[in-house]
Amino acid sequence: MTPPRRERGLVRPYVVTGGRAYPTRNTFDLVTLVIAQHDRPLSELNPEQRRLVELCRGGALSVAEVAGHLELAVSVTKVLLGDLVDSGHIVTRAPIPKAQLPESQLLQEVLDGLRASL
Amino acid sequence: MTQHISEVVFWCVAAALLIVAVLLLRQRQITTGLRKHNAALETSLRARDEEARHLVEVRLPAAEDSGHQSLPAPGLLDEQLTGTAYAWHLQQATEQFAGAVEKAQTRADQAAKAALKASMRALQGLAHEQQLSISRMQDRHDNPDVLRDLLEIDHANSQFGRRAQAIAVLCGSWPGRQRAASPLLDVVRGATSRIRDYRRVRVHAQVDIAVASRAVEPVVLAVAELLDNAARHSQPNTAVEVNLQPAHNGACVVIDDAGVGMDGQEIERATRLLSGRQSVDVSRLGDPPQFGFAAIGILAARYGFNVSVDTRSPYGGVRAVLFLPSVLLTHVTEDGPSTVAAATPPAVPSITTAAGAAPTHTRTPTQAGPQAAAARPAAPRTPTDHEDGEPVIHGSTAGGLPKRRRRQPAPGRATTAATPAAPLPPAEQAPARTAEETARRMGAFARGTRSGRATNPNDEEGNSPA
Repeated sequence: MTPPRRERGLVRPYVVTGGRAYPTRNTFDLVTLVIAQHDRPLSELNPEQRRLVELCRGGALSVAEVAGHLELAVSVTKVLLGDLVDSGHIVTRAPIPKAQLPESQLLQEVLDGLRASL
Repeated sequence: MTQHISEVVFWCVAAALLIVAVLLLRQRQITTGLRKHNAALETSLRARDEEARHLVEVRLPAAEDSGHQSLPAPGLLDEQLTGTAYAWHLQQATEQFAGAVEKAQTRADQAAKAALKASMRALQGLAHEQQLSISRMQDRHDNPDVLRDLLEIDHANSQFGRRAQAIAVLCGSWPGRQRAASPLLDVVRGATSRIRDYRRVRVHAQVDIAVASRAVEPVVLAVAELLDNAARHSQPNTAVEVNLQPAHNGACVVIDDAGVGMDGQEIERATRLLSGRQSVDVSRLGDPPQFGFAAIGILAARYGFNVSVDTRSPYGGVRAVLFLPSVLLTHVTEDGPSTVAAATPPAVPSITTAAGAAPTHTRTPTQAGPQAAAARPAAPRTPTDHEDGEPVIHGSTAGGLPKRRRRQPAPGRATTAATPAAPLPPAEQAPARTAEETARRMGAFARGTRSGRATNPNDEEGNSPA
C-alpha cells in the first residue's frame, strides 16, 4: 500500500478554518518563526492543526515553511496559527535579525592595525 | 260432369292452400330464425363496439400509464368474447401499444440522460477549472480580505460542482476525479466542503482508516449528499454529528441529524432508491428533482458500499449509515514515510536538509534546533535512493522543481562508471515479472477498459465489487 499523499483539492480551506479568513491576531509575517509547545494535548485540534503542531515540534519553522509543508495557502495557515497561539500550542518569535553590520570606523581601525602590524 | 270438375277444383284449391300454408309456416320459421340471428349479430356487434371503446378509453391509457410499474392490465369488458379471434387481436394491439410506449419512454429517457450527462460533464470540467484558479489565487494573495471573498467563491463553486457531479452520475457517468487514497476523516471533511451548511457538521473520529483510491470520489459524493440531506432537513441551529467507526469487516460513517425525520413512505422510497437496483427515470424524480438518494444508490451499487437511512437518530432525526467494506479501505499509518516533507519538495525553498530528508515525526528537538532551521536554502533535493547513480537533472519545471529524464543506459556511461562489467541490457535492469503477474496485469487492464466502456450501472460486467 502506498502511503496516501494529501489530496490538495479534497478538503477545502474554508472547512480547515471554519469559514474564517482573518487570523485572531495580526502578528504573523512570512518569516515569523513558530515553535511548538510540547506539553499541550492535541486531541481537540483539527487534523491540519495537529499536523502543524507536529511539524513544528522539530524546531522553529517560519510561517512560509509551515504553509509549504502543509500545502496550504499562507493566509489560511495564518488563521490556523492564530488559533494555535491563542490555545497555547505554539509560540512565535520574531525572525532572527540580520547581524548588525560593524561600523565602518571599526573596520577602518582593524585595517589600520593590520597594515601597521605587517 | 260439372260435379266432377268442381271436385277436382276443390282438391286443387285445397292442395294449393295446404302448400301455401306449409310455405307460410316455413317462411315464418325462417324469418324467426333470421331475426334471432340478426339480433344475436347485432348484440355481438354492439359488444365489439363496446369492447373497442373500452380498449381506447381504459386499456390503452392503462398500458400507457403503467410504464415502469407492473400493475395488472385491465382485461376484456365482455367475458363472452374471451377466446375469440377478436379478443386475441385486441390483446395483440394492446401489447404492441405497450411495447411502443415503453420503447418511446426508454428512448426519451436515454436522450434526456445523454443530454444531461454531456452538459453536466462540461459544467463539471468548468467547476474543476475554476477550483484550480481559486486555489491558485488563494496561494498567491496573502491578504485576509481577499481570502474571505475567495473562500466564499470557493464554497459556492464546490457546491456547484457537486450538483453537476451528482446529476452526471445519475445519468450514467463516472464520478470523474481520480484521487489518491485518503484518510477517511479527510474524505468526510471533503464531503463537508461541498455542502452549504458545512459549519454545522461536527466530525468525531480517531481512526486511522483510509479509503482506497478508486473509492475516494464516490464516497465523498455519497457522504456529501447524505450530509446535505441531513443539514437541509434540520433546524439551522442544530448540529449534524458524524461518527467514523471501524467495523468488523469495514468501516461506518454514521451521520445523525436532529431534524424532522422521514415517515414510512419516504423511508421506503429512499431504501428503494439507495439499493441502486432499480433503474432511475430522470423524469420521475419529482419537482424540484431529488437527485441525492438516486445518485447515492447508483454509486453504492457500482462501487459496493452500502447506505441505509431507515434508523431513527437518537437526536430525533434520521441516522444515515454508510458502510464501507474492507475491499474499499486501506490502512494508513501516520508514521509511514512522511507524506509532507519527503515526498514532494515544498514550494517554499528554504528547508533544511535534515527536515527535508527525515520524516517529521522522527526529528527530535536536539536534532534540528532553531539554528538548523535558520533560513538556509538547501540544494534542490530529488528523492532518489537508487544505488547506481546520482540523479541527472535536466532543467526545471515552471514551479522550480527539478526535472529528471528517464535514465537510459547511455553508451558513454559504461566507460565512466566504476562497474567493470558491461552495462546490463534494459530488460534485465527492470525486475523480471513472472508470467502470472503479467497475466494478472493484462487481466486487470482488460477489466478496466471494459468497465470503462460500460458506464451503465446496470451492467453486470465490469466494476461489480468482490
